[in-house]
Amino acid sequence: MDKPPVLELRGITKKFGPVVANDRVDFDLQPGEVHALLGENGAGKSTLMSVLYGLYSPTSGEILVDGKPVGISSPNDAIDLGIGMVHQHFMFIPVMTITENIVLGNEPVKSGAARPIGVLDRRTARKRVKELSDAYGLAIDPDARIEDVSVGMQQRVEILRALYRNARILVLDEPTAVLTAQEITELMTVLRRLKQDGTAIIFISHKLGEVLEIADRVTVLRRGKSMGTVPREGATEQSLARMVVGRDVIFRVDKGTAEPREPVLNITGLEVLDDRGLEAVRGATLSVRGGEIVALAGVDGNGQTELVQAITGMRAPADGEIEVGGVDITGRGVRAASAAGVAHIAEDRHRVGLVLPFTLAENLALRRYRRPPLSRRGWLNLNAFRALAERLLGAFDVRGGDAGTPAAALSGGNQQKLCIAREIDSAPKLLVAHQPTRGLDVGAIEFVHSQLIAQRDAGAAVLLVSLESEEVRSLADRILVIYEGRIVAEFPPDADEEDLGIAMTGGTVAAA
Amino acid sequence: MTTTAPELTVTAATVTTKRIGIAAVVLASIAWILTLPPIMARTAVPSIVLGLIAAIVGAGVLRNPKHRRLGGVTIFLGLVAIPLALAMTNQTSANVREVFTWSAVIASGLTFATPLLFGALGGIISERSGVVNIALDGMMLMGCYFGIFGADICNSWVLGALIGMASGGLLALIHAYFSIHLRANQVVSGYAINFLAYGLTGYLFVSHYGDNGSPGTLPQVPNITIPGVDHTAFFGGAIGSTSVLTWVGLLLVPVVWWFLFRTRAGLRLRAIGEQPRAASTVGLKVIATRYAAVVTSGVFAALGGVYLADGFDGSFNFQMTDGRGFIALAAVIFGKWNPFGALAATLLFGLSSALAFRLQTFSQTLATLFQALPYVLTLVAVAGLIGRSRPPAASGIPYVKE
Amino acid sequence: MNLIAGKLSRAGRSAVIPLTTVVLAFIVAGLVMLLTGTNPLTTYGAIFDGTGLNWLFPWVAGHTRVTAAQDLQQTLVSTAPLILTGLSVAFAFRVGLFNIGAQGQYTVGSIIAVWVATSWGGMNPVLHIFVSIVLAALIGGAWAALAGWLKATVGTHEVISTIMLNWVAIWVATYLFQEGGPLQGKQALGNPVSNTIANNMHLPVFWGNPELQGLDVGIFISLLAAVAYWAIMHRSTLGYEVRAVGHNPTAAQGSGISVSRNYILTMAICGVFAGLAASVDVLGWQFQVSSADISTSQVGFLGIAVALLGRNTAIGTVAAALLFGALETGTAAGNLTTTSLNPELAPQLTLIIEGLIVLLVSTDLIAVRILRLPRRLGWGGPEPGADLAEQLQPDDPALDAAEALRPEPGL
Repeated sequence: MDKPPVLELRGITKKFGPVVANDRVDFDLQPGEVHALLGENGAGKSTLMSVLYGLYSPTSGEILVDGKPVGISSPNDAIDLGIGMVHQHFMFIPVMTITENIVLGNEPVKSGAARPIGVLDRRTARKRVKELSDAYGLAIDPDARIEDVSVGMQQRVEILRALYRNARILVLDEPTAVLTAQEITELMTVLRRLKQDGTAIIFISHKLGEVLEIADRVTVLRRGKSMGTVPREGATEQSLARMVVGRDVIFRVDKGTAEPREPVLNITGLEVLDDRGLEAVRGATLSVRGGEIVALAGVDGNGQTELVQAITGMRAPADGEIEVGGVDITGRGVRAASAAGVAHIAEDRHRVGLVLPFTLAENLALRRYRRPPLSRRGWLNLNAFRALAERLLGAFDVRGGDAGTPAAALSGGNQQKLCIAREIDSAPKLLVAHQPTRGLDVGAIEFVHSQLIAQRDAGAAVLLVSLESEEVRSLADRILVIYEGRIVAEFPPDADEEDLGIAMTGGTVAAA
Repeated sequence: MTTTAPELTVTAATVTTKRIGIAAVVLASIAWILTLPPIMARTAVPSIVLGLIAAIVGAGVLRNPKHRRLGGVTIFLGLVAIPLALAMTNQTSANVREVFTWSAVIASGLTFATPLLFGALGGIISERSGVVNIALDGMMLMGCYFGIFGADICNSWVLGALIGMASGGLLALIHAYFSIHLRANQVVSGYAINFLAYGLTGYLFVSHYGDNGSPGTLPQVPNITIPGVDHTAFFGGAIGSTSVLTWVGLLLVPVVWWFLFRTRAGLRLRAIGEQPRAASTVGLKVIATRYAAVVTSGVFAALGGVYLADGFDGSFNFQMTDGRGFIALAAVIFGKWNPFGALAATLLFGLSSALAFRLQTFSQTLATLFQALPYVLTLVAVAGLIGRSRPPAASGIPYVKE
Repeated sequence: MNLIAGKLSRAGRSAVIPLTTVVLAFIVAGLVMLLTGTNPLTTYGAIFDGTGLNWLFPWVAGHTRVTAAQDLQQTLVSTAPLILTGLSVAFAFRVGLFNIGAQGQYTVGSIIAVWVATSWGGMNPVLHIFVSIVLAALIGGAWAALAGWLKATVGTHEVISTIMLNWVAIWVATYLFQEGGPLQGKQALGNPVSNTIANNMHLPVFWGNPELQGLDVGIFISLLAAVAYWAIMHRSTLGYEVRAVGHNPTAAQGSGISVSRNYILTMAICGVFAGLAASVDVLGWQFQVSSADISTSQVGFLGIAVALLGRNTAIGTVAAALLFGALETGTAAGNLTTTSLNPELAPQLTLIIEGLIVLLVSTDLIAVRILRLPRRLGWGGPEPGADLAEQLQPDDPALDAAEALRPEPGL
């Protein structure tokens, strides 16, 4: 290491009020190196990178580029220093084209007399995007609108945008979280190619396997502190996991064998349109029996959301039939579905599951406020509200507030417990759990999983919709794969991960 | 990327329904114009037949859930054509000809549309940057007062217009400060600024001009007479002698469009109105851009006010905008945040206002009722044609810098 | 005990910011007066006397006291409809809609109230008054429900539809009462005005001289409506649904609450409040409606300011309506006796003050910063501003006004 590292972070500390998000973190990056930043959700990885990118200013510490200390107070400074960022939540203007998104902030303008006005040179812009795309084999359509292309494509656009701005240091924040197995393989190929060209890459992840596959060195963050940097050689999943969590991790969920009964949910030939009037679910047929957990596996955006909305009565299907416990609830609305015994742990608890400014009592009453004892002849009984809240908050160990606390004041895990308490307390025949552990910490995840299993063992049919293949494989008794709105394959829980991945991306698997 | 066969068949089926619906709209439109000049059929029968056919077809289209809106519009157009035709054939043809002197309707429609057009263009710029501006009415009123005031003290309509525009810009600056820096609720802040402008202009008017009212002899915004056109039969009446500011407004439509969709600054402005956070991560200046856009919208709206006071009325009156700023706001939405769409909307409103005004020839009493026509038409058009339109995604949401 | 104390202090907290806002608005308007060479203190004094609120001071006696009583009756007469239009706007805010249309709903209510009250002779007067009020309220409700229906079915933005409906109502009313119009009065003699309501059909005056527009029972109708507003909002399943939709329509729908139905029903209720306001005015002191009344009335538009300042609560709306009613009365040409201000300027000044109040209501940041000043200047003591900022819980009505208005982008 005779040359100075292309990037060095020294003693970076970032506090948000009393919360220390980064605590004296050191980090360095060599040209042509992939340096992984590993840690759990909330370990401080994204904060550190936001400091690097000028989105946050550090409380203390310094940043050196090519051995010289630099001040980065805005993304512009970072871009000027050759730092490119691929955000976890893509930073795009969805209604604009790929070309417009890539050149935004650094647009080619027509030369000549019109130069001071800044007239867009759209032909040049398009040409340069095309050239870059071809150079790295990214196969991008420069004229497509961002909102119309797949997530994998969007990610490639993010990378391309960094390259367009001559990035020498590329930061990828959890780049694989939204990708299919196929797309991950393609991404790795692109990264290796960039590496050969001398681009230095920071690869942020909480997945051990892919870190070991791509990284040259690994730095582990835990609760804002650096746990040290290790070379890939000699590192194993177990050794890294110990650094990440601070203890040995159990990867499997404890559950007994399922005792399936007769079918509870029967769906035949279901077709559902999405908001834009396009067919999102195209003839799905499936059934879930009482006493089993069926996982619906698939890449995001293959009709899961619309399927769940149809089952829970939030969206009327265009065709097909949904039957729960022998009752036809097709297109009959949320109340009918609810009456037939459907409970729903929503995908997005902030948007769908809870009314955040409502109190805990009001939130728990959401599905039953119309019936006694909560109300009579249209008038509420607030004592009954309080009694309901006290019973459920105790039974489900919801902490951080009482009946009169607004739901917004609870932590994410407790909010999810609140949702689950409301949904499970009605003793559902069918429990639809849509990404029930998203954004939760380990403890809360265990709670959610044990509740799902408890419901199964109590005889309910459980439909689990999840994008996490780990969760799918450890919880499910059967796995159905959804692709482009159809159920394309069924697997046992111990199916080969490769086969599952191929099915999820529309490939055919030889007799599973 | 995931287009496959079933989707295509669905599209094909709905396309046919759509075509039938559009054909029915054409039929209804024919029913509308049959009894009007220049055709002037003196019997209502063909119009009634066509109108009924259109309404029946419309009822059929209505049954397709994807084209409910089209069906509703068709039924409305078809049914309204019938009383319209009866009314026309009931009048003497001289009366009909007098009301529907198209060149005069266009000329007067343009004068009604001009202040709205300026307001709508301003509204588009502001909303495209992500700031809702319901204070257009107040900003327009500032232009009214200060346009007159400036023309009076400088003895020049151009300087008056500049002073009027500056006053609108200043008022917009208050709106900008509240909605951008203080992260105020933009609808509330805009509503308040209207009141402020009503009071401020009234206060200044009373304290400066007192009981004398507006000065009688002001340098007014001149008309442009196009040589060669001004004496031709149709165009002469319609656009032969039109205010400078009307032409400026019409010219601004393509200019604003070109700015928004063909220049670097326009691209950035739109990006900031859609996803300010994303725009800021590529280094765009969200706050400064929004300030500039809001102030520009105030300047534009005020120029509409200058036209209204110094070009059209020749004097100032308390709250003389009469809610025109709100109509401009409706035109922004009706025009789907596009300058040409807004032009169409303001023309619809202007022409129907002009017609309502001319309908006095038919009945003095009913003429008052016809004054409601532009508002009914706008409501029907917005409800029937636009519905759930898609505004700039960040419009109305304060931007919090990280 | 603790619970009650807690509730009181919370109510106190939610009042602090609006009060600061009002004081600030008066100071800024005072600056405007200073700049134009008017003494703000004497002017405010004169406006205060014009409102009749000096009647509350026991030392005011004699002739002044008589005038003060009359002025105060006037203030309360103009407060009554403002409470109702304020409630009309506030109810819509709670479901996440912006009802700019209270003015139009008020206008159609006026038409029906005066028409019913001046026709159908021979009916029992008490019943007749009742029918007139109910029908005015219902037509207001129907007029507003139209906007709610358009929102629920084709998604027309309620701001656009209610503005258009305002103008349609105004022109229809102008047409009806104009010379030769269908509802022009028989003795109108060329004036655009309706028939006059018979004496036995007036709302009874219980304070002051009926001949001099004493205070009629309309104020009780308004206060009852405020109580009904509170009860519906906080004690009924309808209010529960309305608040759920207002805070989060997606979650509400996911729980089986029909968002469309709530939009329509809410708008209808808003219109009922505005229609009631019209009947209180028409039967309480107007007794006839003229085209000029229709085009100059601001009651519905002021209702927006009332609701915003009152933060969409029942009690806040009543208090804000009183403030605006007092302002309107205090600056009315007849009541303002001062040499320092041209009486013609007074109504313009009122508009400025109203604008400033609403402008300052649009953001809490200013008031919060001012409340924090003492601490910043090192005067020690607790930091009320910081307290406020932290203690403003999301369910605090103080935040509802702002929250409710942000349901969808792009107007």
